[in-house]
Amino acid sequence: MDRRRFIKRAGAAAAGSFVLPYILPSGRLFAASGGGGAAQHVVFVLFAGGVRQQESILQRYLADSQNDPNEGNVMYNMFDGAPPVEKIVYGTGLGGINPIPSILGQSLASQGTVFREMRAASTGHYGGLNSLLQGTTAATQGLQQKPINPTLFEYLRRHAGVQASKTWFVGNSIGNSTPLLNYSVHPNYGARYGANFFAPNVTFGPLGDQYLGNAKVYHPEDQLPPVYEMQAFLNNSFENVVNSATGIGNTPEEKQDIKAFMVEMFSRTANGTIAHPPVNDSGDLTTVGYACEVLKWFKPTLTVVNLSGVDGCHSSFTGYLGALHRADHAMGHLWNFIQTQVPEMAGNTTLIAVPECGRNAEPNAILDQNDWRSFDHSDANSLRVFGLMAGAGVEQGLMVGGEDNPVGLVTDLVPTVAELLGFKQDVMGAGLIAPGSMSLFDRI
Amino acid sequence: MARTSLSTIGRQIGLSVLCVLLLGACRKEPIYELNTIDLRAPSPNKDQLKTNEEYVAILHANLFQTALSANEVYQLAQCIESIGDKELAREVIISNFMNKPGVQIPTDAGMRADIDTFTKATYNRFLVRDPSEAELTWFRNYITADPYVTPELIYFSFALSDEYLFY
Repeated sequence: MDRRRFIKRAGAAAAGSFVLPYILPSGRLFAASGGGGAAQHVVFVLFAGGVRQQESILQRYLADSQNDPNEGNVMYNMFDGAPPVEKIVYGTGLGGINPIPSILGQSLASQGTVFREMRAASTGHYGGLNSLLQGTTAATQGLQQKPINPTLFEYLRRHAGVQASKTWFVGNSIGNSTPLLNYSVHPNYGARYGANFFAPNVTFGPLGDQYLGNAKVYHPEDQLPPVYEMQAFLNNSFENVVNSATGIGNTPEEKQDIKAFMVEMFSRTANGTIAHPPVNDSGDLTTVGYACEVLKWFKPTLTVVNLSGVDGCHSSFTGYLGALHRADHAMGHLWNFIQTQVPEMAGNTTLIAVPECGRNAEPNAILDQNDWRSFDHSDANSLRVFGLMAGAGVEQGLMVGGEDNPVGLVTDLVPTVAELLGFKQDVMGAGLIAPGSMSLFDRI
Repeated sequence: MARTSLSTIGRQIGLSVLCVLLLGACRKEPIYELNTIDLRAPSPNKDQLKTNEEYVAILHANLFQTALSANEVYQLAQCIESIGDKELAREVIISNFMNKPGVQIPTDAGMRADIDTFTKATYNRFLVRDPSEAELTWFRNYITADPYVTPELIYFSFALSDEYLFY
């Protein structure tokens, strides 16, 4: 080889070695931010159906709602503070008199950073969930419409090249348009960058058991490839451009893996060996049990878990306190499970919890079994929420803001997670999040 | 009088000539016709996406030749709703149906005895149309080339196809 050819080939090889690592599976060049965030995994809990600051982070129990002086902390896995000593109704047993013991020896707040007073973008659930996942105020977002702007899932998959099976949304139900949130209708993003979704209480509940639990197993090498080949031929013959009905880009191997997971879940549900929290007497708690199974099986880069049991506060304050206590129990279990049962995620995962909206300052007219007043969500108090982060990349024991000094917006969560996972510049560069939104790390 | 009879005779002769001419004009001519050829694409006008309810109801009817109850349709649609990847959800639903007794599928021997008839019947059953010559040829070649392709797998692929999602 002469000198000229050697230099040419060496130059090409050097250029190739520089470029190749930046080519994503989707074929696009890697984003400017280049990945490498502070966390390898993020678990983001949409918490938990409209939470008043008063009974959560402010720990006022009955004091700010029922003209009763009893105060105390019913969320001791998340926040430091002594529990109420009287009128205990939120636990287990008859009348809820037995509080659920704390799972964590040290609260998540002490392990992480708390934004004590943030602002929600919407006083409604779906608008709130959309603002958390789209990073927009979603003023034109319809209630039974898929997100109009890209979701966190799509940003992650498009800009960080993450596989579908590493991107999960676990919902507690199929109500309230929850299943619509796994991808948007934005033309530059959409289904091909969407997240996998399960509503485990349906998928693996009695209905799923009846209709999904007895699937015939086809051989992945002998039988399924011909099916997909014939399907591809039929699809090529079809003149319509199909967008809405397509999958989310799971490869055949990923589909097989998800089907295997489903088989395992049906089996373990029947055996009673799902990784449920110690107390699992609510839909939120069983949802978290299956979310733990998703974490253990797939080790997702991003997992979003939606809880909503707290919304019973529309008609029962007693039930609300119990649901709040259980949502805290769910958070403790989730964090404990990650640290003790998923070694691949222990130490490199960030856990985040932010309510999609708060609840009213004033009650409605409904009294519950304890003659306590119930609360809807529509006024300014419904825009008051907290934010909690713990784990990889998060400063420990930090409190930011307060009642008189709100810091942070719910629309900040998209750039915050993007920063943790290393694609913040792509999110900001896309220009689709609400003006003024920024990573919560930039607000500290 | 003679003038009158002459004109009557002339009129009769004229009528007779006219009748002869008319009879001669009734001679049967050959008729040339064109066969009807559909110039549209094989899957025209299917632009309405089936709902989950419609999909499972039609799928069940296609596979079992019986209808689901309204309650079953509703519950199956909820199951699809609970899974984010709808393509995956449909695969799981079809796999469950295939595992049930009563699925109406031709035998492998029957399919291979007359592949074209099987292919046409399958297109009619699932896509409610005849296959084009190209489609017929493709399936004939595909089935002939692979002895492991069964009618069940072919039904599976039709039920998963994009066209099957539309009406």
